[in-house]
Amino acid sequence: MNYFLKFVTTLILAFTSVNLNAQDEQPMIGQKAPLFELKTSEGKIYSLEQLKGKYVVIHFAATWCPFCNAEAPFLEELYQNYSGKNVQVVIVDVKEDKSLVQKLQERFNFSFPLLLDEDGSVAAKYAPEGVQPALARHEVPIASNLIIDKEGMIRFYSLLNTAGFDAKLTKLKQRLDELLSATD
Amino acid sequence: MIMIYSSFIFLIYILSFDNQTDTDSVVRVTVPEIKVQAGKIAKINVHVSVEKGYHIQANKVNDEFIIPTTLEINTPITIITGEKAFPEGKKFRLEGTSDSLLVYDGNFKITIPFKTDKKIKKGRYNLEGKLQYQACDAKTCFFPKTVAFSVAIKVV
Repeated sequence: MNYFLKFVTTLILAFTSVNLNAQDEQPMIGQKAPLFELKTSEGKIYSLEQLKGKYVVIHFAATWCPFCNAEAPFLEELYQNYSGKNVQVVIVDVKEDKSLVQKLQERFNFSFPLLLDEDGSVAAKYAPEGVQPALARHEVPIASNLIIDKEGMIRFYSLLNTAGFDAKLTKLKQRLDELLSATD
Repeated sequence: MIMIYSSFIFLIYILSFDNQTDTDSVVRVTVPEIKVQAGKIAKINVHVSVEKGYHIQANKVNDEFIIPTTLEINTPITIITGEKAFPEGKKFRLEGTSDSLLVYDGNFKITIPFKTDKKIKKGRYNLEGKLQYQACDAKTCFFPKTVAFSVAIKVV
């Protein structure tokens, strides 16, 4: 019975630890960012490959996503403050009609590209394995932010956390500053 | 002893999936049967239950891009529905901003008054309804979804 209790305690501790770590752990860090080539609503093509040599901030969004819209002005602000530091910001809009995305552009007047992932295949590639397994893969990265480094590696990945929502992108900027200062 | 270990491991496995509910079950809709006399007014009570840990956008939203919770019921010409009454949404503050959303969580009720035609035949009528919603939980926001339900009206 003593062994059984030890076994149970070990399992509970291991289980709790996995769940706690899952809160803070960023997925896909150090992995090669999946390549993509997407169009803006005006038809201009952008590929991750062509942005190689820059730090790329990617935000996955949908017009109906309230957290994405709350972050939108801060993404523009981030672009204004960091575009001179070899940083490119892009929004990847997931599975929506071009006309809706154009409305979003009109509302926030983004100075950076708003890309259309019409079939959700790019978002699906960025869905971390094992995260929200019950969801369609293209749904998982909605409202997430990533930093891809100059070599195309994922260096920051924040999934949405509505309880500790970071609309002002504080953690992303902090990580970006660290990366930029390391390459100065 | 092996059986106890196996059962325990299985239990742990099941518990680890407790917050990964299938999005189709985030919202459940139930409508009790309504009995009404021909030519009289009655109410359809649509009971909506939002899974714990989730919220859906309210019917009145404060942003044009937000998908509000809406409800449609197909009615025959002998049943005329009035204005749907949705509850008021609860304020959900978007951390770190001055913005807030209006949302529903837990259980709430939407009521729809209706009137039957005087000449409607006695019997059971099954109406088809649809509730459209957009849900979020602590980790993600889900694509807008529609849940279908039926409304049984018995004309007596």
